[in-house]
Amino acid sequence: MFRTSALRVRSLLQSTAFKSANVRLMSKENTETDEQFDNRFLNFFNDPNIDGWDIRRGITDLWGHDLVPEPKILSAAFHACRRINDLALAIRILEALKDKCGSKVNEIYPWYIQEIRPTLTELGIPTPEELGYDKPELALVDVDDM
Amino acid sequence: MAKTLLALSARQLLRNSITKPMVIQSAAMSDGSYARKMLGKREIVGYGYNGEPNYVDRVDFPLPAIRWKEPNADILALREKEKGDWKQLSIEEKKALYRASFRQTFAEFKAPTGEWKGTIGMTLVIVSLAIWTFFGLKTFVYPPLPDSFKPENRAAQLRRIIDLQMNPVEGIASKWDYEKDDWKK
Repeated sequence: MFRTSALRVRSLLQSTAFKSANVRLMSKENTETDEQFDNRFLNFFNDPNIDGWDIRRGITDLWGHDLVPEPKILSAAFHACRRINDLALAIRILEALKDKCGSKVNEIYPWYIQEIRPTLTELGIPTPEELGYDKPELALVDVDDM
Repeated sequence: MAKTLLALSARQLLRNSITKPMVIQSAAMSDGSYARKMLGKREIVGYGYNGEPNYVDRVDFPLPAIRWKEPNADILALREKEKGDWKQLSIEEKKALYRASFRQTFAEFKAPTGEWKGTIGMTLVIVSLAIWTFFGLKTFVYPPLPDSFKPENRAAQLRRIIDLQMNPVEGIASKWDYEKDDWKK
């Protein structure tokens, strides 16, 4: 009795929702190499058709991984910011990058800025340090304390 | 019968799970949404952290769904200028552009608040109140401790335990030398 019911439910699950979405309810080993990963994001940001929404989505996807992205990927992202005329977004990405370096910020961040310096100079993007944003500028009240 | 019921309810569940996200999405997109009403004229620029048009400064989702400030004449003029070469913008203009999109910099919202001091202070106040309460109860409420807590009574109790040879293998009587009538050295 129970087995027939379970089989029935299973066939339902297979037939309707999950088969069409092609979702497997199990973990899968990641077979993408680092190079493929970099190229995937590089192609994404180099696409001239992406808008601000897409750049934010790409950065958020990238930030979900346990890594600091290659300088060439962020260079491509900055060029994408240039195409949609959003300087604030580029500065924010730089700040988020500094945060993403975590405890290795003193090792990675200066090297990173050195690597992407040509892009920053070319596009006229200031680093957070040049804006004085490496230290708190305004003492705004936390929203939770209002 | 049971099988048919199970199949029907499973189908219903599946249908809900498929259609419900769409319903929520369309509610967020309609004019009736609370977030939409709070939004004003702010531009929706991304997905944010949960798909709602809200603004939160977070390190894990650094790019909020909306710009922080509503566009006014100054900001719109700056945005026009932003379409040109960014090298022509002054530091002040770049900062103004940043503050139009974002409320706080990373350094600002990650700055320590010092809240831990107040937390520890209040905790110690409450702990000291508890200690005072304890002594108050001891002084005014509880009767004095029974006689068996007095040192001479406790000594007598110990002597009695030794005389009864309690725990002779590994316990207290095994430590007592009955010939010398003293503790074993």
